[in-house]
Amino acid sequence: MPLLLGLLRPLEKLNDVLLAIGRALAIAALALMVFFILYQIFMRLFFDAPNWTEEAARFLMLWMTGLIGPLAYRQGGFVAIDMLERALSRVLSSLLSLLLLGCAMAVIWTCAQLGWENVNSFTARGNSASLRLPLDWFGGERIRFKNAWAFASLFVGFSLLVLVNLELILRQLVTLLGGQARLKPLAEAAPID
Amino acid sequence: MLIWFLPVFLFLLMIGLPVVFGLLLAPGALLALEGQTRDLAVLYRNLYNGIDSFPLMALPFFMLAGEIMNRGGITIRLVEFSQAIMGHLRGGLAQVNILSSILFAGLSGSAVADTSALGSTLIPAMEKNGYTRRFAAAVTAASSVIGPIIPPSGIMIIYAYVMGESVAALFLAGIVPGILVGVGLMIMVRVTADRYDLPPAQRVVHENQTISPVEFWTSLILLRVTLGFLLFRIIGGTAGFFSDDAPASQAWINLALFVACCVTMHLLLVQYRGRVSHDFRLVCKKAVAPLLTPVIILGGILGGFMTPTEASAIAVAYALFVSVVVLRSMKVSDFSGVLARSALASSAVLLLVGAAVSFKTVVALSGAPQILAQFILSLSENPLVLLLLINLLLFIVGMFLDAGPAIIILGPILGPIFVDLGVHPVHFAIIMSVNLTVGLATPPMGLVLFVASSVSREKVETIAKAILPFLAVEVAVIFLITYVPAISMSVPYLTGFIACPPEVGFFDCISPPPPAN
Repeated sequence: MPLLLGLLRPLEKLNDVLLAIGRALAIAALALMVFFILYQIFMRLFFDAPNWTEEAARFLMLWMTGLIGPLAYRQGGFVAIDMLERALSRVLSSLLSLLLLGCAMAVIWTCAQLGWENVNSFTARGNSASLRLPLDWFGGERIRFKNAWAFASLFVGFSLLVLVNLELILRQLVTLLGGQARLKPLAEAAPID
Repeated sequence: MLIWFLPVFLFLLMIGLPVVFGLLLAPGALLALEGQTRDLAVLYRNLYNGIDSFPLMALPFFMLAGEIMNRGGITIRLVEFSQAIMGHLRGGLAQVNILSSILFAGLSGSAVADTSALGSTLIPAMEKNGYTRRFAAAVTAASSVIGPIIPPSGIMIIYAYVMGESVAALFLAGIVPGILVGVGLMIMVRVTADRYDLPPAQRVVHENQTISPVEFWTSLILLRVTLGFLLFRIIGGTAGFFSDDAPASQAWINLALFVACCVTMHLLLVQYRGRVSHDFRLVCKKAVAPLLTPVIILGGILGGFMTPTEASAIAVAYALFVSVVVLRSMKVSDFSGVLARSALASSAVLLLVGAAVSFKTVVALSGAPQILAQFILSLSENPLVLLLLINLLLFIVGMFLDAGPAIIILGPILGPIFVDLGVHPVHFAIIMSVNLTVGLATPPMGLVLFVASSVSREKVETIAKAILPFLAVEVAVIFLITYVPAISMSVPYLTGFIACPPEVGFFDCISPPPPAN
């Protein structure tokens, strides 16, 4: 038990920090998405439609999903039918939860690996059709967005999910050993107003 | 071997694996067992491409707009407006509750948001007026399923995206069924009013209403412009203000006509003003700003000015304008919380949709639809009987699973089968959406029931019992929608989003055409 808690505490801290950063960035991404699309409508109605807004908004949506999705998972925001889990006794329910978390880990880990391959794939080296970093505003040269920059969004998302799932497994092990009272409630671990 | 993915998936779902992971694990594990590890990369690419979509962006935007609208001020306005309009009918506050749900449905696309927003205002109010708490909670839960049926609607955006339908067509097809559910519930309240001994009704107009100058002028102008525009279109004016090909003189004539329409409407409204009380007038005026949201969304999509995604961004901007400038119910410090909640909720749904897109490719590869189709056709060849069976299946699934995940899982499997049988895709989408949404309010696993229970602090079982008469009405409406396609199909047809006229039958212009039998 002390070993489990000793592993859990630092991981909890790490996730708290990482997910808080992810949350802040995701908020910014969502706000920017709205702004870009409004800008697109405005420009189309009165001037010429810009070609980059739609792709930029999609880019941001991918990153929003990758950055805040893990927090949603941590707070139980992924839909599941939990009737069986609730019907079982504490120990059995705990064992079942561990099994399910194991299944989830298999999926998440595979996706993280595939995500990494994707980021390093041949297509990832290609350039975006319309997105440029406007460094010419600062006297530099315009740099085209690499596909990899967008591909990285889900890789980061699944990597964070690995950490969150690890945390959930440790918590479930602690619960199985009867140490539920010593766990921080998850809502407290990650506040959303 | 791949055919096993469906049973495996169902098993994983039953024992409680989150739907997202189930959608990926079942096909992924079987592919890995067969040694086709290269195909795993294809699954992942589909997951990624499934999220990387512009039409899907309407989802976070509508969620955000709903969140902003929920920030106080708006719910109470809609409730007071409904009270002034319908409070004097038998079963007054219950009717008000249902009307508020219909109105609220035009602002939000989620039943849960509906229940929590209206429930927290109306359940205490109903209790104070002599209704039992369980009845109040049941009416709130039953009527809030209208939320995702009347546009905007989260599950319809998802369904349209996964199945490649037009969001606009689905939105339009949902309007009449949603209102029908509402009217059905109202009739039920009226019929059972004596049995439940509901308190006597009175028209309630809260007195000494006040309105800020900004809101006064905004509502005044918005109402006249909207009504004027409506009249302008009715008498045949074209909206060609901005088009390049029309001569400039035509644009000026149009503009003059439009202004004349606005002035006419203004005069009519001034006429009407003398006949009602000052408070009634203010209550109505205060409802104008929120109630224009659906008008703007649908108007934008129908008028061809914008795509549904752009309309959803406009909805966000309008919601911000209303709650920050007009109602002043939202402060800048609230922004991050509102954004975070929308981002959080939509990220979970987006991952789910991505997983569903990747699941869908495996569904197609595995040959499961063909086997299922054979099985379904062996039960009966009559589409009407099959629709009955499918409604039963959907209803049972809806008892255990949320509408979004259920529609994502069942759409790709069932949709093609029924389109082959000659059911129009849009019609089938509406059957699925309405049925699964009603499932949100059915015991044992109705999300809306849980929310109603936590808002009213009444036990879920008690509400579940009290809601049964209303569920009966909703089931009746489901059958009506199923067997009378015109209910859902007329509006999209009349607005040009479905090509087939009713005389030809809505089924005849699906490509490929259904088999003749």
